[in-house]
Amino acid sequence: MKKAVLVQRNEPESEEYRNSSRLQELKELAESAGYLVIDEITQTKNPDRNYQIGRGKTDELSWIVAETGADKIIFYNQLSIMQIYNISQTCRCETIDKFHLILEIFATKAKTKRAKYQVELAKLHYELPKAKTIVSLLKKKERPGFMGLGSYEDSYEKDIKNRISRLRNELGRMQKDYDNLRTSRHKKGFSIVALAGYTNAGKSTLFSEMVDENVEVENRLFTTLSPTTRSFQVNGRKLLLTDTVGFIEDLPHWLIDAFKSTLDEIFLADVILLVVDVSEPIEIIKKKLIACHDTLWEQIEDAPIITVLNKVDRISEEDLDCRISEIEYLTPNPIIISASEGTGIETLKKKVFSYLPVWKRKDVQLPISDSGMSIASWLFDEGIVHNIKYTDRIIVDVEARDEVINKAKAVERKLNAYGHSEDQL
Amino acid sequence: MRDIIAVDISGRHRTSKGHYYIVCAAVSLSVSPDHIEKIHQVNTKAFRMYRPLKVLDVVHIIERTVSNIKREGVIVTEKGDMYNKPLSFVSSRFKDEFKYQESISERLAVQLAHHISLSSRKLLIQELEKI
Repeated sequence: MKKAVLVQRNEPESEEYRNSSRLQELKELAESAGYLVIDEITQTKNPDRNYQIGRGKTDELSWIVAETGADKIIFYNQLSIMQIYNISQTCRCETIDKFHLILEIFATKAKTKRAKYQVELAKLHYELPKAKTIVSLLKKKERPGFMGLGSYEDSYEKDIKNRISRLRNELGRMQKDYDNLRTSRHKKGFSIVALAGYTNAGKSTLFSEMVDENVEVENRLFTTLSPTTRSFQVNGRKLLLTDTVGFIEDLPHWLIDAFKSTLDEIFLADVILLVVDVSEPIEIIKKKLIACHDTLWEQIEDAPIITVLNKVDRISEEDLDCRISEIEYLTPNPIIISASEGTGIETLKKKVFSYLPVWKRKDVQLPISDSGMSIASWLFDEGIVHNIKYTDRIIVDVEARDEVINKAKAVERKLNAYGHSEDQL
Repeated sequence: MRDIIAVDISGRHRTSKGHYYIVCAAVSLSVSPDHIEKIHQVNTKAFRMYRPLKVLDVVHIIERTVSNIKREGVIVTEKGDMYNKPLSFVSSRFKDEFKYQESISERLAVQLAHHISLSSRKLLIQELEKI
């Protein structure tokens, strides 16, 4: 296991609990990426142009790295390429920041073609502003000779921009396929429910519980990167549930842009389930909910949000009541559940059902003929058949969306007008 | 439902005449966690300054604009409006209760105040140019 030292520079006058929760999150991210955290350093000061932390603190860091044999230094704060170069030179150790660490995790988790492209796009966005400095730093050690002179900066930057444009086109094409899939699912009468929430809130566990299927669940950040969709039924209605990538605080816009098509799975859903780990300390719950609201607010249309307060089995009833009242202003339509123990799932399903588009219930009268039987069979596929009677005709008591009822009524009229004649249909 | 007063300030950049024409908009609303339920009152106020705004100037501008709002509520702004200063630093400078935007509805409310202050300032500049 690779060893890492974590470093965090705190702003003067910043709140202590926020700083410690950020460092804790960085630790969890590092562990998710497979690092063993051997030491942590924090400093409160304004940023240093050359080292992010102070020069004296950098020397202390270099001593710790030499002493412990660390393989990587991971900063919470975003580093400029000059800062990365200076720290790496002083400490003789590879240095990265939080965003690079997230990209490392994403790279290991990306399995589908779309996820791989998205991760590459995010990496290129991260590298683009640094491209010129990287080349000029490399040129410092340059020797005269073939390709020894000339401006690589521009060509390197152009290469990155070209690749970004190619990836965007490719992702755009894939997006069209997903859009078509989403439209056809809607046409087939499926309502789409999306799971959203902070990373490690228990979305995948809830997903498995609701669709009754085992998906990869780990007590780690970013277990799910590519959206997974499965169908399930509530009171006879067919629903599709999508498990998505978790949110995180202070995500840079280029990372959100790269994963926009994945996040669209949430934004274009009919109902959004916002999953919250309610067993955490209240300030952490608030911080995570605010990060979720920040990601959602500009993108969601009219989709209702149901807040799923998960992991209630880990806290007492008193604690739960106290937390619910503290976070009331951040939790639309709260439902209490424990996904791991399976409690509250039925209440949640009922709540989801109450937000689905309303279906009409009508009697459809069909002749007893091949066409009539085939329409009855189609109604079984498209809606909920509450009752079916076979007299001199077939009477189907069906509940379905508007288009299906209208189509069934039109066919009913046509079949009856032609007096059961098969040939004229 | 909770009552809030969403506030936004437009015009922090210097005009060609070297002044700062600032318009502050305060909107009194009732909100649920993810929706604006009702808008009660809107108030705008224009200010002219000859130097860039400091945090205390912003506090003064907001308090003067909010003073004309009849319904009580927590004052809500974007963090950037207060130069990203920590909440404890800023809230101690206000007479009334103050917080940064957090929920979806609070963000929508501040966005509404932003549209009002921005368009009011544009109208103000147009009128001033006619003089």
